[in-house]
Amino acid sequence: MKSRTIALVAGLVVVLALMTGCPRRGSTLSDADLDAASRSGGLTEQGLGGLGSGSSSLERAKRGLAPEEDGILRDVHFAYDDHALDGEASSILDDNVAWLRENGQAKVELEGHCDDRGTIEYNLALGARRAKMVKDYLVTNGIAANRVATISYGEELPVCHDESDSCWARNRRVHFVILGQ
Amino acid sequence: MILRWVRGVVAVALLGAVAPAGAVVTGSIFGPGTATIPIAVVPVDDQGGARQEAARFAEVLQRDLELSGYFHQLAVGTFPERPPSLGLTAAETDFPAWQLAGAQAVVKGAMRRAGGELVADLHMFDVGSRTEIAVLSRRLQGQSGDVPRMAHRYADRILEHLTGTLGPFDSEIVFTSTRGGGLKSLYGFDFDGGQPRRLTDDGSLTLAPRWHPSGRRILFTSYREHVPRLFDLDLGTGRVRRALQTTAVLLNGAWSPDGSMLLVSRETDGNSDIYLLDRSGKVLRRLTDHWSIDVSPAWAPDGRRFAFCSARAGAPQIYTMNIDGTGLQRVSYRGTYNTSPSWAPVGDRIAYVTREAGFQVVVVGADGTGARTITQGGTNEDPSWAPDGRYLVFSGRRGGRRSLVFTDREGRFQKELTTGRGDDTSPAWSARRE
Repeated sequence: MKSRTIALVAGLVVVLALMTGCPRRGSTLSDADLDAASRSGGLTEQGLGGLGSGSSSLERAKRGLAPEEDGILRDVHFAYDDHALDGEASSILDDNVAWLRENGQAKVELEGHCDDRGTIEYNLALGARRAKMVKDYLVTNGIAANRVATISYGEELPVCHDESDSCWARNRRVHFVILGQ
Repeated sequence: MILRWVRGVVAVALLGAVAPAGAVVTGSIFGPGTATIPIAVVPVDDQGGARQEAARFAEVLQRDLELSGYFHQLAVGTFPERPPSLGLTAAETDFPAWQLAGAQAVVKGAMRRAGGELVADLHMFDVGSRTEIAVLSRRLQGQSGDVPRMAHRYADRILEHLTGTLGPFDSEIVFTSTRGGGLKSLYGFDFDGGQPRRLTDDGSLTLAPRWHPSGRRILFTSYREHVPRLFDLDLGTGRVRRALQTTAVLLNGAWSPDGSMLLVSRETDGNSDIYLLDRSGKVLRRLTDHWSIDVSPAWAPDGRRFAFCSARAGAPQIYTMNIDGTGLQRVSYRGTYNTSPSWAPVGDRIAYVTREAGFQVVVVGADGTGARTITQGGTNEDPSWAPDGRYLVFSGRRGGRRSLVFTDREGRFQKELTTGRGDDTSPAWSARRE
């Protein structure tokens, strides 16, 4: 029992260390202007190391599984080369906001994805925009910013591989990953 | 399994005096109606202890000449001269017989083992003038493992004689691929005709490799720490470590031609912007500060300008800028989706990708003039220039998978460089090896 407590405490320390982003010695990308910008990004830059993120698309892909579509919190979708939220997306997000209000301890990581048309690096940036768009909606609707992390996977982790409009539409999404509760 | 990349020393020297010689082809090879030159690469004569290496040399040389687009090979069965007892001078060359066989150029050589090294003497002859091409009379030396590089260097010299510019074949291409199963990893490919070598194997997602100018390290983006960060692979030791000590999310990065600085795309709060860093990671300058996507910085070879992709005009287009932040200039004017710029090491041209009946590769002058689409149909992405500024490699969807495709800057031909399973993407072509 005692060793388990120690293990738990050690685990917590690791989590806290990861969350606060231990400063490293030596010159870094930590000049004043960048540090200020990065703090306003909430959890974005530290990430949470995939803790408790069983439905993270990357974690699933490492295990040879296709990404999850629509977990407890449903995915929202986007038009090509766009990051705007349409009516259906808002409606889904309202449901997701309600759940997050009821489950006040839950944190989420928003994964921004793209279809595979268009180049890899541009799609990384576009996925980031989409995730941020959804985060802004959540925050505007009362969810604390430090409960929401964002990450982009660009076109790298699609749910399907067909060259078809319907498959492409499924891939243009922000997926919610629930982290710890 | 991560393979180490060991470099041998390849010495090349001219044999005899250098006499002025007429070029095999004068004028631009890119003119209309230019036919390929029929060339005979005679099997290299083994003069002692070098049978396998001699055969390998000829095989690699033939492949390079074929790839170059300037030559087509004649069949060995038609050759009037063959080892053993191969005469390596013009006097010993049966030009009339070669003419009858349809050859315009002939390569003959001999290889022997001497003092633990392999020594190859190569000669090239112009059938029309019945002379030897003096500048292509060369001695190449190296270890067994260097034989392909010896052949590449000779092929590069042949191209130099033909066109005035050294060829690109003594170089390497790194790229990302799912050919090993699972997520994208880094692979390396050279022109030796073998299978690509796996360079990373960390079970995570690897993107956007870029060469360090030393040719010994690769900068790449990886999700191995959950968020995209830049990492550095040492090709000699196989060791991977963080490229920069920072918690910033970096989508991609590129080393300056002199290795003193980096351009990176940094993502903060959903927005991506381009920063100039020194090699320790200290910010020298924030180059874009715009709400739109700014991504994919590509250095100009003079190290004073760069190209990038920006959606500031409402849709992604290609721009150039000085690294002091001045001189923003738009370079792409056709179409509503232009991304993925690559700046040629020679010749002041930029290649990029445009969305047009799929995705096509475009080559344009760095001043934005003379845009030419060099692929037709299908999905073609991630162009990267050869060190001579004449050829490009890109990732093309061919027959259900993505493979690396070799072409020249006018799109006169396309040759698939990689086969196998999975998708090969994001190629980066090194400088010529030294």
